Amino acid sequence: MAGGNKNKLSREEELLLQDFSRNVSTKSSALFYGNALIVSAIPMWLFWRIHQIDLYQSAVFFIVGTIVSTYLVAMAYKNTKFILKHKVALKREDAVAHEVMKKLADDKKMTKKEKDERILWKKNEVADYEATTFSIFYNNALYLVLLIVASFYILKNLNPTFNYVASVGAAAGLLALFSTSNN
Amino acid sequence: MAATGKVLVVVALFMLPIIANGDMCLGPQVTSQTYTTPEVIVSTETVFIVEFSVTCKNGLKNINLYAEFGGKTVPASKIGEPNKFQLSLTDEHKKLPSGTYQVRVFDEEGFAWLRKAQRSGENTENIKPLFTLDLSHPGVWSGPYLQSEFVAAMVAIFVWWSAYTAKSRLQL
Repeated sequence: MAGGNKNKLSREEELLLQDFSRNVSTKSSALFYGNALIVSAIPMWLFWRIHQIDLYQSAVFFIVGTIVSTYLVAMAYKNTKFILKHKVALKREDAVAHEVMKKLADDKKMTKKEKDERILWKKNEVADYEATTFSIFYNNALYLVLLIVASFYILKNLNPTFNYVASVGAAAGLLALFSTSNN
Repeated sequence: MAATGKVLVVVALFMLPIIANGDMCLGPQVTSQTYTTPEVIVSTETVFIVEFSVTCKNGLKNINLYAEFGGKTVPASKIGEPNKFQLSLTDEHKKLPSGTYQVRVFDEEGFAWLRKAQRSGENTENIKPLFTLDLSHPGVWSGPYLQSEFVAAMVAIFVWWSAYTAKSRLQL
């Protein structure tokens, strides 16, 4: 009986684990991949209309480039979100606790433990949401900077198809690389 | 004998204008089309191209024409139809600012006078051309001050920079 209890995590522990886990929920995963796909598809327009690549002739490059870039950008979103979540949680801790306590002040029946759980849960939710949106924004901005600088300046003299492959690969790869840093 | 010679000279003098007229285009009617370089991005020099056709009152065909422009002379090339010509004039962008230019077109006789005047360093302004062509050049466009990709890059960098500072602030 006691052994069984040991293996089973308490609700609080579960919440704490969720707080620190790298896994993302299905909903936020869909959000990440959806956003990554949109951002990775933007270079197609740039190379089609500005660098004058024929859309159908280079369709294979475009599709492969978009898929690889989507994967890498989504990975960067996840990594950045994981790092940001703790920071946001620390920043919002007091405010969330204060707000939840105010809301539950009248509820005399609720125990201290329950209240703490509520606070933890709310904190997790707020931090998750803020970290997700900020991670998407930050990585999109960085991806576009890398892409524009690579395609217009560094690789400007290459032939457009190779320029597409190289600049999308470099932008997505560097983005994924930067996202693994802890700062 | 001497009388016959004199008569011949007089007759020849009378005939001279008629013979000379045979080589001269009388009352030329000119229709022209011009092209001037619009921008410097794709061209290293300013080019004027004038295409014109001449109709002479005396129906003269296959004449040779020469143009004088800014002290330089160039022959007008014949293109396609009988009295259709083309002239192309080039110079540095700076030397051909926007404005109206006059191209003086000479026939062979006028051209000979022009060359003679040029050789002896005389003023060529007084030599009457067959006709003049007016060329209006609206000027060359030297491209935008900022390249659009530069603007795009700057905007993207600014947005990223603001995101980066916001991210760094989270750590404090």
